[in-house]
Amino acid sequence: MDESEDVPKDFIKLKSEKLSIDEVSELVISPCCGAVSLFIGTTRNNFEGKKVIHLEYEAYMSMAETEIKKICRDVRQKWPSVKHIAVHHRLGNCLFKNVCIGSVCWSPHLACRILDAGVMTLTIFPILCLYLQEIYEGEYSWKENKECFWTNSEK
Amino acid sequence: QVSVLYFARSAELAGLRCETLSVPRQITSLQLWEEIVKIHPRLAVIRDQVVFAVQQEYVLLGDQLLVLQPGDEVAIIPPISGG
Repeated sequence: MDESEDVPKDFIKLKSEKLSIDEVSELVISPCCGAVSLFIGTTRNNFEGKKVIHLEYEAYMSMAETEIKKICRDVRQKWPSVKHIAVHHRLGNCLFKNVCIGSVCWSPHLACRILDAGVMTLTIFPILCLYLQEIYEGEYSWKENKECFWTNSEK
Repeated sequence: QVSVLYFARSAELAGLRCETLSVPRQITSLQLWEEIVKIHPRLAVIRDQVVFAVQQEYVLLGDQLLVLQPGDEVAIIPPISGG
């Protein structure tokens, strides 16, 4: 058996191509683990009554990867039995129904793991150096996450 | 001399994504902001919504003293929306 499979790894990718859930899942397969938590974020086609044509993502790549790695580290501290973690996020143009983000944690125990992938992704939102524009018909707007810690929340 | 990176709204207002600026080696984050706004006055409108990332560490605009090395990376970061 390949011993390097037992060393927990983080697989982080921000890319402009279509994301593959299969690829994300296969990255975290480990023979010693029996469960995978998968979170998939997709593009909605509406926001506050406006029709969203597509999303445009851009990223501060190096910092986004650094910040995701920090989150992976925090996840492992909190849940030490987590093995591999993969986070893929789409950049550029996302049509609706396309996958924007997937994160997978494969760990020995099934219970509670389904929650973890969601928690991890929610943690990513305020920290990740990513920006998204919702492109509506004829106009666009830069989105802001409520959890962003430096914005003045009383607007 | 530091590299300044702009993203999203800050890139729109500044009209560019990246440039090199000469700034004092020791400067508070607020003073650094003011230097940048002198060059790109349109950035002033997002003053309350940005942070810096200096060498990939977040820095709020304020009295924090930055010690900058030549080639350091400073990013102007508007509110984040990924995920």
